[in-house]
Amino acid sequence: MSEAISRLKKDYLFNLALKGQREDGRGFDEVRDLIVETNVIDKAEGSAKVLLGDTQVLVGVKLQVGSPFADSADKGVIITSMELNPIASPNFEAGPPREKAIEMARVVDRGIRESGAIDLNKLCITEGVEVWIVFIDVHVLNDSGNLLDAASIGAIAALMTATVPGEREGRGDDVKLPICEMPVSLSFVDIGGELVIDATNNEESVSDLRLTIVTNQDGSICAMQKSGPGTLSEENFLRSVEKSREIGAQIRGEYLLNI
Amino acid sequence: MDRNIVIPGQLLSEKKEMAGPGTYVKDGNIYSLLYGVANFKGRVSVVPFSGKYIPSRKDFIIVKVIDVTPSNWIMETGSPYDGLLHVSEFPKRVDSSEMRKFMDIGDSVVVRVKDVSKAMKVELSMREQGSKVLRQGRIIEVMPAKVPRVIGHGGSMVSILKKESNCDVFVGKNGRIWINGRDNDMDRLTTAIEMIESESHISGLTDKVGIFLRGGPEGTESSDEEQLVDEEVAGVSLEDDDVTEETSRKVDVLLENDPEGTD
Amino acid sequence: MSDKPEKFIDENGLRLDGRRVDEIRPMTVEMGVLSRADGSCYLEWGNNKVLAAVYGPRELHPRRLQRPSEALVRYRYNMAAFSVEDRIRPGPSRRSTEISKVSGEAFEPVVMKQFYPGAVIDVFAEVLQADAGTRTAAINAATLALVDAGIPMKGLVASCAVGKVDGQLVLDLNKPEDNYGDADLPIAMTEDGEITLLQMDGNLTADEIAKGIEMARKGCEQIFAIQKEALLSKFGTTDEEELLKEAELQAEVATSEDETEDVEVVSEVVSEVALEDEDDELKDEVDEDLELQDEGEAFTDDEVEDTSDEAEDLFGEDVSEFEINEGTESEGDSSSEPEGAESDEDEGEKNE
Repeated sequence: MSEAISRLKKDYLFNLALKGQREDGRGFDEVRDLIVETNVIDKAEGSAKVLLGDTQVLVGVKLQVGSPFADSADKGVIITSMELNPIASPNFEAGPPREKAIEMARVVDRGIRESGAIDLNKLCITEGVEVWIVFIDVHVLNDSGNLLDAASIGAIAALMTATVPGEREGRGDDVKLPICEMPVSLSFVDIGGELVIDATNNEESVSDLRLTIVTNQDGSICAMQKSGPGTLSEENFLRSVEKSREIGAQIRGEYLLNI
Repeated sequence: MDRNIVIPGQLLSEKKEMAGPGTYVKDGNIYSLLYGVANFKGRVSVVPFSGKYIPSRKDFIIVKVIDVTPSNWIMETGSPYDGLLHVSEFPKRVDSSEMRKFMDIGDSVVVRVKDVSKAMKVELSMREQGSKVLRQGRIIEVMPAKVPRVIGHGGSMVSILKKESNCDVFVGKNGRIWINGRDNDMDRLTTAIEMIESESHISGLTDKVGIFLRGGPEGTESSDEEQLVDEEVAGVSLEDDDVTEETSRKVDVLLENDPEGTD
Repeated sequence: MSDKPEKFIDENGLRLDGRRVDEIRPMTVEMGVLSRADGSCYLEWGNNKVLAAVYGPRELHPRRLQRPSEALVRYRYNMAAFSVEDRIRPGPSRRSTEISKVSGEAFEPVVMKQFYPGAVIDVFAEVLQADAGTRTAAINAATLALVDAGIPMKGLVASCAVGKVDGQLVLDLNKPEDNYGDADLPIAMTEDGEITLLQMDGNLTADEIAKGIEMARKGCEQIFAIQKEALLSKFGTTDEEELLKEAELQAEVATSEDETEDVEVVSEVVSEVALEDEDDELKDEVDEDLELQDEGEAFTDDEVEDTSDEAEDLFGEDVSEFEINEGTESEGDSSSEPEGAESDEDEGEKNE
């Protein structure tokens, strides 16, 4: 299932954390270099490539006309998928998504959906009959850690550049996808009792807990997920909430607002 | 009170040096790991109400041959772990090619757990008095946690079972009980064992079982315990129908040389 | 089909189902309801009906899934097709896959996985009727099923959700609150307040989250009390004296034959685990503050001393099949080296 963890590697990283250090010299609250390129795929209605340190993720947004869900007849639909392709890591295998990928896709989805990033009411074509279905597909190219945040940032960036293809589908003019919120996901992993953000794959491999917090522009929180078998103290948790607000705002300001 | 029902995580004592089986120590205090009865006499320990059998060194258990490899019989032990009986642990010298002649797939065997490694590799031995292939009789399964009931205080229950049913009885630690006797005797004994397992009260259970096996509420008092005891001992040594006398002697010699019987 | 209520909380501070904001729905629990399972529990919480069963520790196949130094804890959350208004397709969905994953992880910190290397502990939670909060209900039932199965655990886990309706935080959402509320924050925690499951969707401020955690903690405290009562009352029909007798029997057999009971296996493995961790202080937070009992020597010596009386009685008084063991080993053993050392020694020889 998972690769056996090297005890030496674990000791090394834990010891560093005890001294307040990380393998790549970053501080606990420091995000790796982030590059967000948008409109990288012409065929997609919206797209973004995210480089987070060495992690590379490509997110494409496609829109199709489809039927609404019965309980939200006047709203568009969001469908988020994520595949951990074998191209991205020696640990990934081909085949349908397993629980790890499904979980991540659902957390990315939750951030977009619960923040209200997409104005789904405007994606209704004919109530109860036709609505726009927004497909967010996350294509992982290189897993150097923290795929989840890279995917989330990619998703919102791709959505922000997306067009509703009215002409192509014979449903009116092309318009910009109505976006009303910019959620930012931030994940922490536990290294020997310290929570560090934007973990590398090495750090992830020795950690037993990941905490993801997605924040909105007003500093409120729209989605959270604890993942992994470790436990979380209330103190660490609440401190992470504060940090995610602060760092989330920085990322939003630096990378999303100018898209 | 010396004993009471406890649940996992329950604080048992503040004296961490008294931690015994079924407990763990955190921040200098002893907590229970199990749902069961805590015993505060001497070390603080907890005996669970239920749980799977996990092989432990020196246990006598009843296993089933599920595979035969060139040098091992692979045994199903009624636990999460299969056991290995190496050909050299058979009481006789057996050639690799003939292993199946002695014990084949599906055979039930009384073995002793010789060792259990950290990774739960379970090694079994038959080079012990009492080990044997079970060619007759029946095997009844009870919850491993109920084994103490079937044995009874100082073996009192087993004694009654044997005496009143006229059957041979062997209680394996893994909850498998081998019985051997006449068919109708075994039927009654099976019911009696089921009774022991399902009864909620232990008080007077020995008597109750005795009465049942004697076939009714009247019957003799179960007073002659000492006599019983003698019979038991005799029974044990006479039962070894699958281990020839010669091997028994060899085993005895081995045992003398190494009282632990571990090598 | 928006039948969203206009108000969720009335002027008296009562919710649609008459509860206060910090009140959980009534919960009833029944233990040991499935004969084939090693442990089981049926739980009703409001209109939720869930059934949890534990199988194991048992052999794990395929082999590549095995973990060499601990058991795998596998959790399967499953909703019956008829458990909700509109029939759902049976079998795993993405939602149930995610819930299964994080719920299983909610138990990993308390289950003593290291006692059963290579084995699997399967936890199955079936939602028979769903009415908001099924994942938390399933966790509450699964804890009891694990305990019922005799799985060694550091403690219980309880779970409940906090949500937000009418701008107010509420504990343990009911169906309308779940459907139309502004947030859902399901949490599971251990008795000492460590969070083992945390998810959230909707919208909450940082302050609300801090308050929500406190509410959830209080909710979990109530649930712990219900769980404990269920466990202690399982033997309610048996009077205390009976229980003592059972314990005596257990203790007698456990001690008279040296290393027989499951617990003792437990202790042996533990001592090894503990040793291993010594040169690895940082290994993980669990092991850091958790000293497992039985550092070999002291334990065995005392144990022998402690039980010698009882043991003697036993030998003198009566003989049973069990004597087979004692005849050959008991004396040698009482004076022999500690369990831990013994098994370590042998290890070298056997793992050729």
